[in-house]
Amino acid sequence: MSRRCLIIDQSSMVRRVAARIIREFGFEVIEARTGQDGLDACAGMSPEAVMLDWKTPDMGGAEFIAKLREIMERNGTPMPTVLFCTGERSVEQIVLALKAGADEYIMKPFDSDIIGSKFALAGLLDTAQMARGESAACAAH
Amino acid sequence: MGSDHAFLVETRLSTLARKEGFDTLDAMVQELFASGKSRLAIQVVSALVERDTHFNRDTKSLDTLFNIALPDLVEKRGGGRIDLLSYGCSSGQDIYSVAIRARHSATKTMMGKAALHMTGVDYPSQALERAQAGRYTHFEVQRGLSTRDLIANFTPDLAPGSTDWIAAAHLRENVTFRDMHLMSGSEDIGEFHVVMFRGAIEHYTRTARVRVIRSLTKILRPYGYLILGSGETLQEQHSELEAVPGAPGLYRRLKIEPVYEPVGKQPNGQTTFEGSKARRTAGQ
Repeated sequence: MSRRCLIIDQSSMVRRVAARIIREFGFEVIEARTGQDGLDACAGMSPEAVMLDWKTPDMGGAEFIAKLREIMERNGTPMPTVLFCTGERSVEQIVLALKAGADEYIMKPFDSDIIGSKFALAGLLDTAQMARGESAACAAH
Repeated sequence: MGSDHAFLVETRLSTLARKEGFDTLDAMVQELFASGKSRLAIQVVSALVERDTHFNRDTKSLDTLFNIALPDLVEKRGGGRIDLLSYGCSSGQDIYSVAIRARHSATKTMMGKAALHMTGVDYPSQALERAQAGRYTHFEVQRGLSTRDLIANFTPDLAPGSTDWIAAAHLRENVTFRDMHLMSGSEDIGEFHVVMFRGAIEHYTRTARVRVIRSLTKILRPYGYLILGSGETLQEQHSELEAVPGAPGLYRRLKIEPVYEPVGKQPNGQTTFEGSKARRTAGQ
């Protein structure tokens, strides 16, 4: 079974660039525009990882994690690894995200090195897999 | 370097030219060739050869440092100061990665009363200046560094337009950077309990390799550790170093310094090699 990663971001450009990088790391990628769409997708197929913007059009990051945890508990499926990927870089904001239960935090703009490194830090990739994905070098704002 | 590196060369050298106050890259190259300025020449070469590095590079060998070398030194010394050198420290991520891990609670428990002091040395270069400033770009701080370690040890630069992060004062407490000409071997940099020399040895020729390992051994205290990359081994024999079993890239300096010639060979009063073969043959 292939590994799945859900990307939630309002911008289709960010989703497209991130999806291309994450596919290089061997994941099947599912995209969603809003928090609710993301939660619905998670309920249907429990992804291994979720990468989302802190501010989705309909809910904040902390709210999303709380709702996701609820769904996963109800379905008896393991909680996905959660990474935020957002333009916000204040320490206060990052602390909030980690407190809410995020496994890692990516500050935009990102490139494939950053995503690979953060996926590895979150335990989603080993070094060899990171090296394979390096060919997908590109940046997104 | 191939022609596909032209972009890289131009980018790096243009940055340097601006910094050095030249209007264009051409102006700097003119000046370099016209005056033969050695400081400028060093900057140009270092801008070209700077290795791309990141935080927590080769975690396996960092594990070796924290799980094998340091616990052994702490046990033997029972406290006090432990000096670590990062040889070829480039832009400083290696040193700061060690400093960050030294602040983890597990390491603090292991270290007890011992204090780790870290020194990074490299050629005078832009990379070394960045190490000294402890300033890293948005991209650099997101490579190899966990978000928890980032916010615990760096602060965002609040200057308008900047997305850099700066090493906090507590992280630099026991950290020193020094510029020196690595291969000259003439400068006195003191003695160390640990010398880190990771990921560089493959770039050296055989002669240079032997020379650099010898000079690193010289500044290593007895029973001190030389740490190469986890995938690296010493190709040549070094009588003062022994490989630590089960720890790839880790070497321990032996206590006894072989001051004399190898065993069995006694001084015979000869100062030249002339006639030595004949003497040996006659003696058999």
